[in-house]
Amino acid sequence: MTMATEKDINEQIAWAKINTDVLRSMENPRPAYWVTVAVCVAMISVAVFAEYIQYTEGMGYANLNNPHMWDLYIASFVFWIGMSHSGTLLSAILHLMHSDWRKPIYRFAEAMTTFSLLTAGLFPIIHLGRVWNMYWVLPYVSDRGHWPNFRSPLAWDAFAISTYLSASMLFLFIGMIPDLAICRDHGKGWRKKLYTVLALGWEGNDRQWRHFRKTYLLMACFLIPLAVSVHSIVSADFAMAIMPGWHVTSFPPYFVAGALYSGCAAIITLFVLLRYFFRFEDYMTLPIMEKTAKLTFAIAMVWTYLNLVEFASIWYGHNVYDKELLIAKATGAYAPIFWSMIFLGSVLPFTLAFRSLRRHMPTMFVVSILLNVGMFFERWMIVAPTLSLSQEPHQWDVMWGSVVEWGIVFGSFGWFGLLFLIFVKVFPSVSMYEVKEMVFHRQRSAGEEDLIRMTDHTQPATETAGGEESK
Amino acid sequence: MSLDNILNNWSDYRKGAEEGGHHDYEHRWTMAINLDVCIGCNACSVACYAENNLAVVGKERFEKGQAMHWMRIERYWDQAADMEHPEQGASFLPMLCQQCGAATCEPVCPVAATYHTPDGLNAQVYNRCIGSRYCSNNCPFRVRYFNFYSYYESAWPSPMEQQLNPDISVRDKGVMEKCTFCVQRIRTVKDRAKMEDRSVVDGEAMTACAQACPTSAIVFGDTMDESSAVSQLWKKHQVKRGTYQSTRGEKANPNLRGYRIFEELNVDPSIMYLERVREDV
Amino acid sequence: MSKHRLLALFSDFEEAHAAIADIRRNVVPGVTVDDVTMKSPIEHPDVEEVLGERPVHIQKFTLFGAIFGVTFGFLFLAGAQATFLVQPQGGKAVIPLPSNFVLMYEMLIFFAVWLTFFSFLFLSGLFKKRSALYSEKVSLDQVAIMLELNEAHTDPIKDLFQKHKVLEIREEVIK
Repeated sequence: MTMATEKDINEQIAWAKINTDVLRSMENPRPAYWVTVAVCVAMISVAVFAEYIQYTEGMGYANLNNPHMWDLYIASFVFWIGMSHSGTLLSAILHLMHSDWRKPIYRFAEAMTTFSLLTAGLFPIIHLGRVWNMYWVLPYVSDRGHWPNFRSPLAWDAFAISTYLSASMLFLFIGMIPDLAICRDHGKGWRKKLYTVLALGWEGNDRQWRHFRKTYLLMACFLIPLAVSVHSIVSADFAMAIMPGWHVTSFPPYFVAGALYSGCAAIITLFVLLRYFFRFEDYMTLPIMEKTAKLTFAIAMVWTYLNLVEFASIWYGHNVYDKELLIAKATGAYAPIFWSMIFLGSVLPFTLAFRSLRRHMPTMFVVSILLNVGMFFERWMIVAPTLSLSQEPHQWDVMWGSVVEWGIVFGSFGWFGLLFLIFVKVFPSVSMYEVKEMVFHRQRSAGEEDLIRMTDHTQPATETAGGEESK
Repeated sequence: MSLDNILNNWSDYRKGAEEGGHHDYEHRWTMAINLDVCIGCNACSVACYAENNLAVVGKERFEKGQAMHWMRIERYWDQAADMEHPEQGASFLPMLCQQCGAATCEPVCPVAATYHTPDGLNAQVYNRCIGSRYCSNNCPFRVRYFNFYSYYESAWPSPMEQQLNPDISVRDKGVMEKCTFCVQRIRTVKDRAKMEDRSVVDGEAMTACAQACPTSAIVFGDTMDESSAVSQLWKKHQVKRGTYQSTRGEKANPNLRGYRIFEELNVDPSIMYLERVREDV
Repeated sequence: MSKHRLLALFSDFEEAHAAIADIRRNVVPGVTVDDVTMKSPIEHPDVEEVLGERPVHIQKFTLFGAIFGVTFGFLFLAGAQATFLVQPQGGKAVIPLPSNFVLMYEMLIFFAVWLTFFSFLFLSGLFKKRSALYSEKVSLDQVAIMLELNEAHTDPIKDLFQKHKVLEIREEVIK
């Protein structure tokens, strides 16, 4: 097997080089970085203008109408929440499973989680008719004794998102403290001041590391059920309703799978971008890309399966509303979007099955973006057709979003991109201390492997490679 | 204090609709609409516009589906195919909020702006509404209307604002609204009855649509009052409140025309429709 | 007799490990392993083992946070519902258990995570002024052994460190 000879990372890399490479990335990215920042700012300004119109004139400018009370705003909300799932969830799962190949890429994946949550959080606010009263959803003590309606899945969303946002930000921050100490030790000027505050006086003593290890493990244990519950609650926005196409029992796992899927695809996109911007070829290596791509492929197949389960249960259930809706999705006005979703979500991922394509960065960049386009269509096809074709035939209608609506959706990508790009410029986007751990343990277990091979010929030298345990 | 409250009233607070619900009803405002006499004239809808300060949105917004008609006449052409004169094939269905006993719009509101009143109405609190529009999405009848714009700015050019009903508000952009069974009229009637120390008499409370209907297709009243006209109609057509399972059953008599729309969804609507008698029957 | 603080930097982790093991075996009488602090650029569970059992209490706070979150969650939700939401909605009970369970689950995690974080901040000895001996090499690639000891013991300890190929020894007098 070729995999055995190819290493995830060069184990002989000098630790000083890790520090310099990562610290340098925060100072001088390629010019493409600044071009991307400019594009993001331009995209945001489109959204700000659109939101200004919508805020002052009313929601009608988004082309929303009586059956279509929700449209792309909620689809985007689900999309961004979904995107946020891979970073933290994968990081936590791989941490618990001692898969150390996560180490060079988990930092930016977790940052992606945090910033796509911040983007997702904008949409329920933007789509409110009276934005200025949005805080009424939060359980604050009011002198009138008002509370939000705890029965509503939208109120659950508020709880779930605030829990997830705080937990994933803490997870990101805690994991970054040793790196912030490195930045503090090597920084100058405003950076030194910033990192001195943020490193919280970290000096890497054994007491700190012990507590750090325990905290990180506990956080990872809580983040996995949390991430699953968050997207289940988002799916409850639909599954708890009685509308055909929404009231689907399999929605929670379907949403979680879709979330992981689009999140993994986004990790690939950002992987390619960061590798190029910051010259991270030594850390974001091809074998790691291959592992990520294989994971994405596996999740794509899970997603495909859950799609089929949904269609099959509609067919078996023979509920006239659900069945008509499914047929209308596949043959009606939304058919191009629906079939694009099927193609991009279930057929296109087969490109990930080819080793040569997995190792070709431009291909991976395009494919991963197309996968996410497919996932955006999926969310759209969940929200809109149900509203178009509900139980009440008099209100059947098809609706396409206006420039205002698309402008805000478009701008959200700029908003996410800008936040993310600022983050990777200000904070180390590759975890320095963990890459050191990775090479340290791999080097040592490779040495042990050699030793075993030399001394004991009867014992096969396996298991040790890639294992983080070294008891 | 609230812990005491929970412990003392636990069994009460745990009662759902199947166990009779938490409230003891004071009234159960109900409607019966006879489709056989409905001529689709839209007088009810116009009366509703006048009574409830509904904004006229204009042709363009109407076409986009942003109209505010709490009471709409749905027109279907389902009998046109086998008729000699297809233009006679239209059938009409006045559609308005069904004031469901187990309304699906209520539990999904994130700020509890809509709830079930002791009068059996599905109330909408405009001041509390933040415009998440989930209620409308979860309404199988699609009878909730959203203020997509500040309609009041252009709906009543001066001096037409003089004809607005002072008993209720004019809604600004961003809130959901829907048929209230003319709650302002019910309020007045209840207040008068209370002042005169008597109970509400059947026919005293009358919605604008029922009042305006030229063929008296709409009968409105209180089903808690056994002798009211609407109670008699419900009884005559053997339609009972409650869940689908409890009311289901084949009707032996073809003269029993009463039904409730989407009964199988278990939302317990408060409006009974009387089927149209077709000529070929 | 004055108290001294030593900081010894090693580039070889195995040697640092061996040096601590020697201190543990009381090679230098009067200096115990409890006086030793190890500083390293990466997590070293195996090297830390030689320091002996040093307890971590964070998980207790996490447990407390989880239990608090779930009980407070129920009481808070039920209390709010009983005082404000006495209006029935959609034929549902005033205190609906299914939706409360969903929120209690979130509140369990919310409080557990925040308590874990705060207990980490306060128990792990952060927010202290770093001593003058702090070496930036520790955040690069060297492992450091820091210990406080009486003046009399400094020389034998230094010899011990030299034996284990120490790169640099820094010293300060505390009192």
